[in-house]
Amino acid sequence: MKKIKKLVVLSVFICFAFSANAQQGSLKFGLNYNYSFPMSGFKKDLVSNNSPRGFIGELMYSFNDKLAGGLLFGFQDYYQKYPRAIYHLTNTQDISAVLSNSIQTTPVLLKAKYFLTPTSYIKPYVSLAAGANLIDFKQYFGEFGNSTTSVGFRAQGGLGVLIPFKKTSASGINIGASYDYAPYKKNGYKDLNSVNVQAGVVIELR
Amino acid sequence: MLIGLAGFSTVFTSCTKDPVSNLSNDESRIYITDHDSTVNFSNYKTYSISDSVAVIDNQNATHELTASDQAYIDAVKKYMNMAGYQLVSKDATPDLGVDVNHIVNTSTGVISYGDYWNDYGGYWDPYYWGYPDYGYYIPYAYSVYQIKEGAISVDILDLKNASKNDKINVLWTGLIRGSGIFDASVADAQVKALFDQSPYLKH
Repeated sequence: MKKIKKLVVLSVFICFAFSANAQQGSLKFGLNYNYSFPMSGFKKDLVSNNSPRGFIGELMYSFNDKLAGGLLFGFQDYYQKYPRAIYHLTNTQDISAVLSNSIQTTPVLLKAKYFLTPTSYIKPYVSLAAGANLIDFKQYFGEFGNSTTSVGFRAQGGLGVLIPFKKTSASGINIGASYDYAPYKKNGYKDLNSVNVQAGVVIELR
Repeated sequence: MLIGLAGFSTVFTSCTKDPVSNLSNDESRIYITDHDSTVNFSNYKTYSISDSVAVIDNQNATHELTASDQAYIDAVKKYMNMAGYQLVSKDATPDLGVDVNHIVNTSTGVISYGDYWNDYGGYWDPYYWGYPDYGYYIPYAYSVYQIKEGAISVDILDLKNASKNDKINVLWTGLIRGSGIFDASVADAQVKALFDQSPYLKH
């Protein structure tokens, strides 16, 4: 928990500590297709299928040629249907059903991005992000389902490269990957951790 | 903030896979069974089954015998016989009584399965089983289900000990829900599923 708090504080600090220079930088919008791999408890207890249904958007402000900060938002849909099985509801009651788990996550995170070699043509970077994770969890026995919506914490560490369209261009193609830590302590479940890979475009707005 | 996030999420739900539309009729169905765990079912030998199905609508019951109803009754007979019980007429003092029920929609579209038990005597007069002075009792805590589109239930009653208990105990219940269940051609498979998950139910 202390680590989580440190990540939040660090992200907020990075995003706002340089606000005095804000008018000197550039504002960029990024839109990425996201492919997600459930990990740890998420994969074991809820959904083991990878998800090809997601995207990530970013609105990032460049404080200087090395550091950018801003807002990340996204959406990912996870789904898995398990073969029919008998579940023991109580010591006398059993249910036979096809179990389906449908989970949608919507992260809204503060993100900081650090470019390792800003003068090179291809710009590798590392990133940190932390914030809220809106979780919509639907579980179905056959066609009969229950839905719960909750908000949890989410932190992300990532790396990637920005490939400019031209050598002098601030816009370009983004390719990246991240590990997302997302605790989910409900009904005996542990987390919605995932590894994500994404690719998209970054456009300089001003 | 929460409303904003919820709205944001709603915009993108069109990207999601719909779990219900991704199910076949067979996959849509669920089978729930419950029983009195203090009872040894091998202590019962004979049974009788009702000659019609109670159609329970908004806590009122009528009795009918459609092709689908007959198929469910026949299937219950088949799997009770396979479990080692002997079918006798209800005048031959059977150890067990078996009722089949068809629960249909209500005007509000929802009924509670808990209410179903409260009014059981209205659906199946204890007189039918030869015990007019007794009420029904379910000795286990059956969960409450909201039934929106109909269900079929099968109940096994303890007639052998009705006089000793001064009531007719419900020993076992099976509930079938899902798409396409009111069809004679699928009745056998539905009843088989109930018995398959109740291995303790045998003479």
